Amino acid sequence: MLNRETLQRASGDGRTLAWLGIGLLLFLLEAGAAATFTMEALIKIALAVPGVDSAGFLTGLESAARSIPTLLSREAIPNQGYYNGSGYQETFLGLAPAVAWAIRATLVYVYAFGIMGWVVAGYRLYRSTYRKADWTPRDDVLDRLRSHNWGLFGLVIVFMFVTMAVFAPALGPTTVDQNMRNSYGNDISYWDSESGSVETIVVGEANLGSASRGNNQNVGPWSYDDYGRFHPFGTMQNGRDLFTFLMVGSRISLVIGVLSVGLSATIAASLALTSAYYKGRVDLSMVLVSDAVMAMPQLLLLIMLTTVLGDTWINEIYSGGFLLALIFAFTGWTYMWRSLRGPALQVSEREWIDAARSFGQRPTTIMRKHMLPYITGYLLIYGSMTLGGAIISIAGLSYLGLGVAPPTPEWGRAVNLGQDYVRTGSWHISLIPGILITLVVTGFNALGDGIRDAIDPQSDSAGDETAGAGAGA
Amino acid sequence: MSRAKYLGKRLLMAIPVVWLGATMTWFIIFMGPIDPAARLLSEGQVRNPAAYQAAQTQLGLNQPPLQHYFDWLSSLLVFDLGQTWLLYQGSNVNALIMDFLPRTLWLGFWSVLIAIFVGVPLGFYAGMRSNTVADYVASMGGIVWRAMPNFWLGIMLLALLGSSEAIFGFAWETVGPDLLTGISGNPDLTQLGTVDGFLRATKKVLPAAIVLGSASMGNEMRIGRTAVLEVKNQDYVELAKVKGVSKRSLVYKHILRNALVPLVPIITSEAFLLIGGSVLVETVFGINGIGYLFYQAAIQGDLPLVGTLMYVFILMIVGINLIQDVLYTLIDPRVGLEGD
Repeated sequence: MLNRETLQRASGDGRTLAWLGIGLLLFLLEAGAAATFTMEALIKIALAVPGVDSAGFLTGLESAARSIPTLLSREAIPNQGYYNGSGYQETFLGLAPAVAWAIRATLVYVYAFGIMGWVVAGYRLYRSTYRKADWTPRDDVLDRLRSHNWGLFGLVIVFMFVTMAVFAPALGPTTVDQNMRNSYGNDISYWDSESGSVETIVVGEANLGSASRGNNQNVGPWSYDDYGRFHPFGTMQNGRDLFTFLMVGSRISLVIGVLSVGLSATIAASLALTSAYYKGRVDLSMVLVSDAVMAMPQLLLLIMLTTVLGDTWINEIYSGGFLLALIFAFTGWTYMWRSLRGPALQVSEREWIDAARSFGQRPTTIMRKHMLPYITGYLLIYGSMTLGGAIISIAGLSYLGLGVAPPTPEWGRAVNLGQDYVRTGSWHISLIPGILITLVVTGFNALGDGIRDAIDPQSDSAGDETAGAGAGA
Repeated sequence: MSRAKYLGKRLLMAIPVVWLGATMTWFIIFMGPIDPAARLLSEGQVRNPAAYQAAQTQLGLNQPPLQHYFDWLSSLLVFDLGQTWLLYQGSNVNALIMDFLPRTLWLGFWSVLIAIFVGVPLGFYAGMRSNTVADYVASMGGIVWRAMPNFWLGIMLLALLGSSEAIFGFAWETVGPDLLTGISGNPDLTQLGTVDGFLRATKKVLPAAIVLGSASMGNEMRIGRTAVLEVKNQDYVELAKVKGVSKRSLVYKHILRNALVPLVPIITSEAFLLIGGSVLVETVFGINGIGYLFYQAAIQGDLPLVGTLMYVFILMIVGINLIQDVLYTLIDPRVGLEGD
């Protein structure tokens, strides 16, 4: 509760006001993007409802949102321009496309870390000024995490990955629509050095000329193609920009990963609480069911279910990503349930459970209020590790050509597309996505380690280790 | 509870697990949104009612579902696995599995072995020298190694070995036994009796086994390291030291032997990863193993074969779990004595 004294103390030194002001500024810089995103999401939801064919009202709002200026947008810092013989046209301040793109990408990350710093500062302000208690057990957990370098490394990697997914459209040197989906509906200008003039070409045609297919024809990392387009990670075997592909691909990986881990954590936690509370036959039957699900290797189960459910309407949602998340959740909860069951059983033996029961509280209330808080820490640990594993499995499935439907970018597919060129000059197509997956998965595992050591410094770190390995993908 | 009783209970528990797994598989395959009979037929045949009827009859789908379920289960129980429909059309599934399974077992055998013989010593080494540079390098390497996707690691390894002459100065094909048929592909298991044939077959699956074992290797290393760290600080190690036991004997007899105990269940439980991972690794390395067979059956729409293979996988995993229980009771006498 805020009382008069703390309010006065806070407003007196102006820190709160400064913090709020910075927050407002940070929001205004990106207000347009936030509004556009909200409207787009609303339109998608509206169109997903059967029987609704158009969302005219929402589309109007969306175009209004688009007109709000945004700092970190392609329009504010454009990198797609052309050389006209004397200087660059249409790029940011007339800089070379590579420099303009680098400025935008750097700004995105500066902004993201600014937000992170703002949140941390806000929490500290709250802790020092507004919170009544000088100390809570959670403080110790956070302090331990702060001094855990390995965990912090994981946190930074995960944060950068999330930033990549959130700002994917602004990070790429080009857009999915222009470069991939609708490449024959867009054209670009470029400087033709042979004729010495500015020419125009359809993007699809330009892509054919910028393909990376081995030693004879290659656009490697950090280079320009013949049409003056800059490719930070080079091009793919079909001439599309690899960096844009990967940025957008990170989005679907993250969304599927978070959705599936959230779902399986919910299933695992409620089943673990139920089996710990009732014990006996309920527990035994759950052990049997989870053993039966685990007896089918998860990757094989994923292959089987994606094949069987491939033609259904659920597979249409989000390029098959939603179905994938559901399958993941219903095949992966067992591993988390196994890890949660032990702690849940321990909690169920404590006196306060007996007390609550004799007090006449309902079982669901006891589980939610008196047992769940003690296993949420474990949920975080295994959630973080399972997320890394889910990202590997999703990539493995799309490497095999299953899961996320083809036009939608996915990291595993990039590995597959570049497979034939690994031994040639176009090695980057397969190598870079793999390095990114390794880095992100290491990050999630490190974060899991950090959280575990922060929550329970005595814990045996050799516990359940298979979570992060992605079902053998 | 005696050990025999404990093991008997585990055996009894395995039966409902296999039954539940097989039932779920049956439900997904035959009660799912895809009609297995239609999936088996080509575009033209689907419109031909006679062909469709024939396929349905042969799959037994014209009977009531419950009847079909019991028929299917009982034929699996006696290992009457029927014949294939699309993949290697019309061949006997038992024969097909007998043909494909040895390659997977050979691959799995080496990947378990390599993981143990690289991961465990490295983990012990890191644990004995905890918090030194060597420890950090080994631990870091293990963590990153574990995070690499198998399929990508396989592609990169193949590329490295394929151009080994340019990179390392020697050609992988000609080091040791010659690989005349390329660096990846099916190992020739017919000549295992001879020294040369054995080496050749081993060298052929070695890269694939390293990749397949990568995740387990990282796990075993980590757990080995923690186990050594824990044992190192036990009182009996301290006592042995005070008694004047030689350093060599201290390390090998008192520390490493005891640190091995927690590793045994980990090694067997990694069978999940090995069997699941075999699909991708066999695809990348072009090995005609049972995982590859499963994947081909799934993408080509031979759903009855998918179900049958899933049953085989379930049996394998439950079997490995039982072996783990046996090993567990042998190594750790406390198991089964603490009640359930």
